[in-house]
Amino acid sequence: MTVKNCYEQMGGSYEEILSRLMTDDRVKKFLFKFLNGDSFYQLCSAMEEKNYEEAFKAVHTLKGVSANMAFTDLTQACNKLTENLRGGQADNETEGYFEEIKKSYELVKKTIEDLQAQEG
Amino acid sequence: MNEEILVVDDEELNRDLLQAILEREYRVDVAWNGELALEKLREKEGNYAALLLDLQMPKMDGFAVLDEMKELGYIDKIPILIISGENAVKIEDRCFKMGVSDFIHKPFEPMLIHRRVRNMVDLYFYKNTLEQKVEKQTNTLKEQYDLLQVQAEKLGQMNNKIIDILGTVVEYRDLESGDHINRVKGYTEILAKHAMQMYPEYGLTEERINMIVAASPLHDIGKIAIPDGILLKPGRLTEEEFECMKTHTIKGCELLKSIRGIWDDDYCSTSYDICRHHHEKYDGRGYPDGLKGEEIPLSAQLVSIADVYDALVSKRVYKSAFAMDEAFTMIINGECGVFSPKLLECFKHAKPEFEELAASGYTEQPESAD
Repeated sequence: MTVKNCYEQMGGSYEEILSRLMTDDRVKKFLFKFLNGDSFYQLCSAMEEKNYEEAFKAVHTLKGVSANMAFTDLTQACNKLTENLRGGQADNETEGYFEEIKKSYELVKKTIEDLQAQEG
Repeated sequence: MNEEILVVDDEELNRDLLQAILEREYRVDVAWNGELALEKLREKEGNYAALLLDLQMPKMDGFAVLDEMKELGYIDKIPILIISGENAVKIEDRCFKMGVSDFIHKPFEPMLIHRRVRNMVDLYFYKNTLEQKVEKQTNTLKEQYDLLQVQAEKLGQMNNKIIDILGTVVEYRDLESGDHINRVKGYTEILAKHAMQMYPEYGLTEERINMIVAASPLHDIGKIAIPDGILLKPGRLTEEEFECMKTHTIKGCELLKSIRGIWDDDYCSTSYDICRHHHEKYDGRGYPDGLKGEEIPLSAQLVSIADVYDALVSKRVYKSAFAMDEAFTMIINGECGVFSPKLLECFKHAKPEFEELAASGYTEQPESAD
């Protein structure tokens, strides 16, 4: 699997990340770093505790990182929840947006892990 | 490559991305919270070429960093670019108000980041260099001003010395009045200082007193034009001789008029007044103009008392010295002509100082006259 395949599979923009980081090697390095980030887990625990202010901060951070990594789908999903939680309160759409992020994040995570396994 | 940039973001991936983007052009230092950022800023005394700052961070957020930087005086020194995912107008406006220079939006666009950072780094480099230059030039100007002040003071001292020399020239012809000029300076100063304290309506100031004291040696400059036969005659002068003697006031001030252009106007008019009017009397019975009361310039009134007192307590070709007590009484009683009642009050108060000076018989120039 190439980095390009990887981006196609997770719904990201390979052209964009390449313009930012120039080489596949560097893209890979940053993909693996992405797995170390904890904003997704912070988002999960904040959602569980119904602490929507913290959830907003976490999803806001995750949105920034995703955008920087050119994870188009995940960024869009984060964007919806960010706007939804901006007032610090949840509504009946919140949970749906959160599920969308979870799905998208799991896909990104699995794809990167596959790439990592392949690299050995 | 001396330019160093500080990147402050709690998200490692963002920091590393910015570092990857900027490290070709700058040295990149990083901090992952506000506290650490401030520590680094303090350590380098704000000497970073630029600061890239995230707003939302644990342990002191971006706004708190900005507040603290303002306190430390770093805000105007370092360009600050906010790393922002927000497009919220209010937040950007608040940042600009706090002294932020520009924004870097997510997702990062390397080309734009390069340009924005370069713009600000260059702008602040020129701004800071310009400020340093202005400061340096201001200092140079200040130094030159100080130097001028010193030279002006030297010139003033030189001027006073020349005045003294002019007065001394006359004094030497006069043979007997050894340190008359220095003593008159001393008496004039003592009397003027009492007048300044006792009668504020005279409007005397330290500067004005210094001017009067410095000009006082010229009071008898006109004696240079009086023939030896009269000037040096022992015993009483005939009426005719006395008329000639009286002309030293007019001759003196004419002489001073002819050297105008060397001294400044205040100096000229003060020395002119003293020279012309130091023999006027308060009741109008003096010479050469018969001025009355406060028509007589204060400078001339002051020097007049000083001159008369010194003449009384000194031995002259035509008389021996009076005792100090006697001289004092003679002046107070109007035996040497009428003086201003106010100045006589001052003279009474100044009696011990006059007597101290008269007794010291000093030959040195009084320091305080400078």
